[in-house]
Amino acid sequence: MAATKKISLSEEELVRRLKAQDTIAVQALYDMYSGALLGVISRIIPQTELAEDLLQETFIKIWNSANSYDSNKGRLFTWMMNIARNLSIDKVRSRDFRNSGKNQDIENNVDFIDSQKEITFNADLLGLKDMVTALKPEFNSVLNMVYFKGYTHVEAAEELNLPLGTVKTRIRMAIMELRKHFN
Amino acid sequence: MEEGKAYIESGILELYVLGQLTAQEQAEVEAMAVQYPEVKQEIDAIERAMEQYALAQAVHPAEGLDQKILARINSEKQSTAETFEVPASVPAKASDAIVVQLNRDDNYETKVRRLRIALAACVALLVVSAVALFSARTELDSAKDQIAELSLDKEKFTATVNYMKQTNAALQKIADMTADPNWKFVKLAGTPMDPKASMMVYWHTTGKHVMMDNRKMKLPATDKEHQYQLWALVNGKPVDLGVFDVNADSAQILVSMKDIAAAQTFAVTLEKRGGSPSPTMTQMIVAGNVSI
Repeated sequence: MAATKKISLSEEELVRRLKAQDTIAVQALYDMYSGALLGVISRIIPQTELAEDLLQETFIKIWNSANSYDSNKGRLFTWMMNIARNLSIDKVRSRDFRNSGKNQDIENNVDFIDSQKEITFNADLLGLKDMVTALKPEFNSVLNMVYFKGYTHVEAAEELNLPLGTVKTRIRMAIMELRKHFN
Repeated sequence: MEEGKAYIESGILELYVLGQLTAQEQAEVEAMAVQYPEVKQEIDAIERAMEQYALAQAVHPAEGLDQKILARINSEKQSTAETFEVPASVPAKASDAIVVQLNRDDNYETKVRRLRIALAACVALLVVSAVALFSARTELDSAKDQIAELSLDKEKFTATVNYMKQTNAALQKIADMTADPNWKFVKLAGTPMDPKASMMVYWHTTGKHVMMDNRKMKLPATDKEHQYQLWALVNGKPVDLGVFDVNADSAQILVSMKDIAAAQTFAVTLEKRGGSPSPTMTQMIVAGNVSI
């Protein structure tokens, strides 16, 4: 692992090269974000093989629709993340996935994947787990449903039997806590 | 400034970053971000937090997946380049044209086949119709014949019935005559001119009717120039009662003649056709007196 040289580029450089269809951008994006993206995908689709197939599809789509990314509208990762999540949700809701019998209850995926993979946190991010667990669980669960499980905030409100306004507030509170932690 | 802050606190920016908004709502947030730098800043901060959150919970893919992805991207790049070249080459175009032509032929042939089948079906239908029409026509003809035959029969029956009715009426009348004393039965016997001749005349003394019985008329047939004439002798003077022919086949039994109020004798003479004003005495064939 230590022998592998990881490529890391500034966001501006990444975007420029990606739009220029330079494959070095793909390599850099992969080195920087494949883990984070697979983390998102895996929480929606826990089957490793399927999740990795979808990660491939995600990178192909990032490559093919690079020109539709507008840096004025948001960060590159947000855009990639939404591609990964939308592909995963489409897969989960597709007929062949539902017929495969592999459909574990989507709600259990986050806990399932966490226990299965024994996720290790980066050293400099240590304490996040404590922080996240320290966060009021009701705030955290709403954020995770929307961010990781593929729920829309409307579906989350219905699922938790909460008013839409409460769901919005809880998402905002959870993100505020995260910001406090990371900044 | 205040508006921007209120917008931030509404929580819509978090939903925007999480990809939860409709296209219209997204456009609205993007417009706000352009207008208010603090909105733009807030979005960026949220994005960074979510990015860190995702990175913190990364799941590392299997070794070599990046090479697979790069291989796919490179092969797609190549195939894209190839497809760009294809339209420029002339043979490809020519073969395209042929394909279209073939398709058209195919279409045409299917159409022709379909039309042939339709035509065959029409002919078959026509034949069946013609046969049906012919047989119907034949049946109709035979039915017509039968109807003609039946109506002829009916006419015959009607004629027979009429004949029988007439006969029956006449016979009834004759039967009634015997009960009525006013009817006189006058038997006319043959004269020396023809002793075998005879006939019967019925005369009603008060009603003045004179009738001859056709069944009991035994007179030689007349030729075209001559007719028989009936006379009544009233006090020695002959009175004309009309002319008649001998017609044994006639349905009529009773033949009415001119009325006469009184008569002692009835006689028949052979006269020229149409009758004579006075009888030719030498040609008297039958005569008979009224019995009292």
